[in-house]
Amino acid sequence: MENSILESIGVEIIGVMSPVSICMFLVVLLVYVVSPNTPNSVVIQTAANLVYLETPTDTTTQKIEGSLLNALVFVILISLVTFLMVLLYYYNFTNFLKYYMRFSTFIVLGSMGGSIFLSIIQHFLIPIDSVTCMILLLNFTIVGALSGFSQGIPIFLRQGYMVLLGIIVAAWFTKLPEWTTWTLLVALALYDLVAVLAPGGPLKLLVELAQSREEELPALIYESRPTINQVNGRGGSLGLLVTGATTSSSVELQPVTHSNEGNQVRVSPENYSTSDYSTGEVGNVPANVREDEETSPLVGSFRERQSTCSASNDFSTVDVERLRARNLENRDGEISEEASPLVDLIRLENEREERRNAVVGSGAESESILTATAGIKLGLGDFIFYSVLVGRAAMYDLMTVYACYLGIISGLGCTLMLLSVCRKALPALPISITLGIIFYFCTRLIMEPFVVGTSTNLMMF
Amino acid sequence: MTVAAGLGYVLLALGPSLSLFVFVIAKKPFLVLTVLSSTLLWLVSLIILSAMWKAFLPLKTTAWWPFAILLVTSVGFQEILRVFFWMGYKKLEDILDTFADRVSKPRLYLTDKMQIALAGGLGHGVAHAVFFCLSLLTPAFGKATFYVERCSSMPFFLVSAIICLAFVTIHTFSMVIAFNGYAEGNKSDQIFVPAVHLIAASMTLINFASGGCMVGIPLIYFMAILTLLHCGRMVWRRLTETRSRPVVS
Repeated sequence: MENSILESIGVEIIGVMSPVSICMFLVVLLVYVVSPNTPNSVVIQTAANLVYLETPTDTTTQKIEGSLLNALVFVILISLVTFLMVLLYYYNFTNFLKYYMRFSTFIVLGSMGGSIFLSIIQHFLIPIDSVTCMILLLNFTIVGALSGFSQGIPIFLRQGYMVLLGIIVAAWFTKLPEWTTWTLLVALALYDLVAVLAPGGPLKLLVELAQSREEELPALIYESRPTINQVNGRGGSLGLLVTGATTSSSVELQPVTHSNEGNQVRVSPENYSTSDYSTGEVGNVPANVREDEETSPLVGSFRERQSTCSASNDFSTVDVERLRARNLENRDGEISEEASPLVDLIRLENEREERRNAVVGSGAESESILTATAGIKLGLGDFIFYSVLVGRAAMYDLMTVYACYLGIISGLGCTLMLLSVCRKALPALPISITLGIIFYFCTRLIMEPFVVGTSTNLMMF
Repeated sequence: MTVAAGLGYVLLALGPSLSLFVFVIAKKPFLVLTVLSSTLLWLVSLIILSAMWKAFLPLKTTAWWPFAILLVTSVGFQEILRVFFWMGYKKLEDILDTFADRVSKPRLYLTDKMQIALAGGLGHGVAHAVFFCLSLLTPAFGKATFYVERCSSMPFFLVSAIICLAFVTIHTFSMVIAFNGYAEGNKSDQIFVPAVHLIAASMTLINFASGGCMVGIPLIYFMAILTLLHCGRMVWRRLTETRSRPVVS
């Protein structure tokens, strides 16, 4: 009864949306907690306002011109850096890039994160001595730096650090003056559009290069890999899967879930290029399954390795193994029962898998959606600039925050839909940022007087 | 009393929806997407409405009839929108059913349809609470509180949170009623929903009188409970009908 299709649709979308939501929520919280009532106290100097330092006393034209210049310089800087990355990647300096990424993660977590932690400690008057604080911070940053491109790190930790990095950088960017922020966001959205879609755009080059080499991009990317679903999202359905195996009524769910799992396992880090099963022709399913069984010792060893590295915390290797074994038996039984629907199922599952393979990702500091083997990938830049927009909205009012959040999330949803149609790397910023900005100004200029006027009179509908 | 009070107001307005979300919606990704899109729809409707009323704002606070017109137009607009929402949902249901056929899974159950309706309603309700109550709550997290003259017995935030809770309930469950009414072609249900919405909205007009909130709030809650009861009865009827009937298809 419980195996309705409602549960299987949209898992990927939610897998991307929830970390983005968490990131935005925490940035808003940070903006509210750490920097209340201190307008224009500190003007930070970053790459984003090299040319022009906005002060509240400037005239509007000055602000517009200055912020446009700022945005232009920032975009040029970013594209230069990205081209440099493409060059380095083209000449196979992959390790250099990886270590550079680790280094920058270390610096960001240590300095920016450290200063944010410091202000949190000051704000809440947390009693902690400097030595302990230093040790904690050092441990924290080192784990963060290592989590980037290592294989032995649980993906949960990696995703957590990605979100954290996004939060820290976004919180930093929210200290930019208002006009600069807006023009910067618009400029970045435009840049993203060009860099990912235009022929010769740096991110497009990077993605295509990575695809032709069948490597992972050496960039800071959030992966919502299905393995995490298996551990977290499917955690709930695991019990159902096992119990459902004993009753023959819910047979139809099983193949899907575990053929899915099979794919997920195979598509995991090291051997994703050999995932012949998930992409191959499934003409003859029983044969395929037999093959699956035959190779299972081999695959099992793979699985064991992978589950030690990718299964997070409480999910022990033994459990995974046992479950797999049970699934295999289970599948065996079903095939004898009904072979033909299974063919459809698996074929469809493969179609979906392929569709899922069109993916989202990014160049190092910049932002876009890109293609890889499994799971949707979202560049860290997307996280950052979504959160910057929401954080900027949070400085005005909560109402604008909600409106912006909805705009960004719906934009992300549209992008993901497009992704399943286009099946190539797509920029994630343009639609979301456009919608977010539109909703921000609509809310601020049009909706707020209306809503405040009615609700302070206790009128509602 | 500052952060605690603010959180208290938030939970007062959104607590029930939060638990609904956690226990029913969050497990099924599709329902989460439904909630989000329905929230977005409500936001868009609110923006359109405020754009239409922009010329007349701010209203003078002495006369009540401009507010009455405002409420009637808003409710009317939103109810029209609900019909469009239903049409969109109908298309979606077809798509889902064909998809289910293709993966040879069972089609949408009755409970699934009701859950989608519930998610849609919850989206509307949450959007209402967020924009009419939560967004004004920021000062409540700081020191001091705020009273409006017309309702001096309670802080303004408390009043708006309480009213919001009633409206969230009405929005959430009237969507279930409406969808079911449209699906069955049941005229009384189709009329029941806009009527309840309109009556509840016009009951907030009572707040306009000095001290009127002490009368208005119980009346609004009466409407909310009426909606709940009606929805409960209807769902019970549908469920028992389908259970007693032999399972077709």
